[in-house]
Amino acid sequence: MKMVRTGKFGPAEAVVLLTLSSMARIFLTFPRFLVEIAGEAAWLSSLAGLAMVLFQVYVFLLLLRTHPQKNIVDITAEALGRVAGTAANIVYAAFFVAVAAMFTRTFSEALLVSALPRTPISVVSTGYVAMGVLGAYVGLEAMARSARVVYPFVVAGIAILLLALIPLWDYTQLFPPLGQGPLSILRGGLIAGAVVEVLLAAVIVQSFHDPDKFGTILSWAMLMGFGYMIALMLILVMTFGYNTAQELTLPFYQVSRLIYLGRYFQRVESIFIIIWGYIGMVKVVLTLYAAAVTFAGTFKLPDYRPLIWPLALIIFVASLLPGDMPAAERIEAVVLRYYAWFPAFVLPLAVLAAGRARNRRNRKNAGG
Amino acid sequence: MVKNKKYRLEIKQPRLAAGIIFFTAKACGLPPAVNVWGVELKKILETLLRLITYQPDFDREGFILRENEYDRQSVPERRDGGQKSPGGPEGGGRNGGGEGSGRRTPRRAARPRRKDEPAGEAEPGRVHSRLDENRRAVERIYGLPANKDVILREFSLGTDPPLRAFMVFIDGLADRKSQYRLLENLMIHCRILRPGDVMSASRIMTSLLPGSQVKNLDSFEKIADAVNYGDTAFFFEGSDSALVVETKGWEARTVDRPETEQTITGPQEAFVENLRANIALIRKIIRSSDLYTEIIPVGARFRSDVAVMYIKDLANPDLVAEVKRRLSSITVDFVTDVGMLEQFIEDSPYNLNPQTLATERPDRVAAALAEGKVAMLLSGSPFALVVPTTMFSQLHTGEETYLRWQYGSFIRYIRTFSFYLALLLPGSYLAVTLYHQEMIPTELLLAIAGNRERVPFPTVVEMLLMEFSFELVREAGLRIPGIIGSTIGIVGALILGQAAVQANIVSPILVILVAVTGLASFSIPYYSLAFAVRIYRFFYIAMGALLGFYGITIGLFIQILLTVNLKTFGLPYLSPAGPRTFPGRDMVGRLPVFLQRRRPDYLNALDDVRLPGAPRGWVEGGDGGSEDGSDR
Repeated sequence: MKMVRTGKFGPAEAVVLLTLSSMARIFLTFPRFLVEIAGEAAWLSSLAGLAMVLFQVYVFLLLLRTHPQKNIVDITAEALGRVAGTAANIVYAAFFVAVAAMFTRTFSEALLVSALPRTPISVVSTGYVAMGVLGAYVGLEAMARSARVVYPFVVAGIAILLLALIPLWDYTQLFPPLGQGPLSILRGGLIAGAVVEVLLAAVIVQSFHDPDKFGTILSWAMLMGFGYMIALMLILVMTFGYNTAQELTLPFYQVSRLIYLGRYFQRVESIFIIIWGYIGMVKVVLTLYAAAVTFAGTFKLPDYRPLIWPLALIIFVASLLPGDMPAAERIEAVVLRYYAWFPAFVLPLAVLAAGRARNRRNRKNAGG
Repeated sequence: MVKNKKYRLEIKQPRLAAGIIFFTAKACGLPPAVNVWGVELKKILETLLRLITYQPDFDREGFILRENEYDRQSVPERRDGGQKSPGGPEGGGRNGGGEGSGRRTPRRAARPRRKDEPAGEAEPGRVHSRLDENRRAVERIYGLPANKDVILREFSLGTDPPLRAFMVFIDGLADRKSQYRLLENLMIHCRILRPGDVMSASRIMTSLLPGSQVKNLDSFEKIADAVNYGDTAFFFEGSDSALVVETKGWEARTVDRPETEQTITGPQEAFVENLRANIALIRKIIRSSDLYTEIIPVGARFRSDVAVMYIKDLANPDLVAEVKRRLSSITVDFVTDVGMLEQFIEDSPYNLNPQTLATERPDRVAAALAEGKVAMLLSGSPFALVVPTTMFSQLHTGEETYLRWQYGSFIRYIRTFSFYLALLLPGSYLAVTLYHQEMIPTELLLAIAGNRERVPFPTVVEMLLMEFSFELVREAGLRIPGIIGSTIGIVGALILGQAAVQANIVSPILVILVAVTGLASFSIPYYSLAFAVRIYRFFYIAMGALLGFYGITIGLFIQILLTVNLKTFGLPYLSPAGPRTFPGRDMVGRLPVFLQRRRPDYLNALDDVRLPGAPRGWVEGGDGGSEDGSDR
């Protein structure tokens, strides 16, 4: 079947793309949840989450290694059979759509809170969804390159932000080191470890120049993404103390508001709007693209592009469904973060098991 | 097959729509003119449907400069390797005299004849052996005697017996002095020949005509081509071919200092309107037998020559072939400047960014050729097009390389900063003052507010007014003739700004801002890129005014995405930054030249290594490089 050309990109671009995508949540309410659960040890929770993510990467590596030319959609369809495979793939796609809708909503809310209080949310959401459509339509190759071009500015911005806070750091805030106890650290890790990027990378793996490096690319991306998260967690707790930190709506924004290096370098949080606005767009593009590609792969369509419009509309409408910001946050925290484990990890594990079983049966049949 | 299917799919609904309209019109008793209307409407509907329905797009990019396919391959065996244009038969129309035209003159078509064109009668354009026939043919071609530019002069060769002959040239294009010498030779000095010698054109060519470039041609089409370009054609009684002597000598500008790309250091020569002189300016710098110049004719009716220059053992053969393919596929009436040529061969005409580099400096072209790029020169244009080009090379001037690396890097960082300023400053100012006031330190905020208080317009209007006035001053300054132009620009801007502030139409800070933005945009060295930035700036003004920094983020997202997606001759426009390749230590910052050991990786040149061995031999290893300084 003739597939549409989507372009390929090298490992550096892939790593940066996935890193930016996995950074998206640290600009939102997510750090607050982690502080709420793990207390002073929020950064240890991130570390635990990193360990879990690396384990997921390993599982996916096992899955993809056996089929070098295929992505997770094809592998699922093959391993689970036609009906179950299609159902599983639709679950993946729905997961992507849900994540895209959730991020569209929360990023829009964050923008309203921080910068555009009198703008209707639909205007801001429209911006995100439109950029998602544009990015997904132009293709992942351009998106990856553009991420690579922007990345130095993102790093510089975050570095300036974190370093400018040095006068406010208070190391004693990090004690006791285990916070609310090891169990809460693990619970936090469970939340931090539920990421969309692993599944996403498995969907777009064919766009990598060398899909063999899937494990390396993804591990690096996760290390970098979680590295930023750990740094932010540390600085958040050091700057505010855990009691105040769990009250903040947008911790990253609040942290950046504190910057005061003399009279002329203060209140620079608006500059960071550019950084996290951009990262939010990257996230929406990636999830929208992944959803479209998953659907196209599931139903064996040659081109994913016609699916972008309807999916974007669904995302836009779904993002506006929660009544207000707390409702949206509750859906994110209570529903999505917990149930994300199912499409992002449990289902692929089942696919792996089914594939293994099928192989063994085949081998037995061939042998006997 | 697929196309047909698609077409049928599309036409279904419009036909239905048109039918409905037609029958409704009939039922209402409208006149039959509606029928025509219906057909028109059908067409419009079809177009609309094509716009909004899905069209599969399987092959979006035609040509890709392949990675490493030719890397490390030695010099190709055939020295004349690229002589054939790949797009079709070499100069398809050139050999077939009179092929394909019902026009009065059997002028050649630059393009290979299309299938549906008539083939024309068999060889009407050959030189006849009878002089009178030839004379009539020439008179027919040039419309003599009505056409006063073309001079036809009859004379007799001073041989025994005298041989009748005539010469044709265009007054003003041909050089008188060389013609005098030629005539002198033919009419007087040939008495030395013995009587009875057979006087064929080739004999005359070998022993009588002292021109350095003489061609023996038998097709009127080619002869006319040469005469139209300043040569002189000689016809002799009894010869079925004519001699064309190179006598080009029209009034032309001499080589001068660059006008638009001025530098302080480095060579101070610029191209002129003469193709040969321009090629010589480049050849003078690159003294190599591997520097190839291929001439590709462009212009179906009025021919112009495009010289494609490249270095045979450096430039990627695919790139050279692609350049020639694009050039030879152009169908255009005539081309006067490379700016026109550029629009015919660039990859994405709808993107704002320029995708070729036009320069008037031979040293820049030479440097590009030495990197493995391809240059195009057009007869009559004082600019050369260099392809492929990246945005980084469009932000270079070449001067940075002549300066020591610290100075060069410093200039480039300043220029990069000014690039961002020119793009984003007005938009960011609007975003800050309209949406993010907390960013401004209190005293400054009070100052701005105080100034703004008396201004009756919103900030956006103020900004647009100022930007528009600035563009106006800029354009007017260009158009005002003579010496007053530059002064009136500055004076006008100063007075306008001052008066506008005093009249409370704009606030003073805005004047400063717009002036800084203008300065920044002038520091972008490439005119076309500066243009793109000027237009993008208005886009950012709109976005900043609409949505603050979020709007600017949207703008940046769109611009970066579209720019990284851009390709120039198979090369990503933002290489080596996006996609990341080995940057070659010469991107924004510039390391010392002796550290730039390799050519830019993204060009996939045949030879990657620029500096083999030890570039500074006297430091690094004993006796240093080769004695004569030549390449190894």
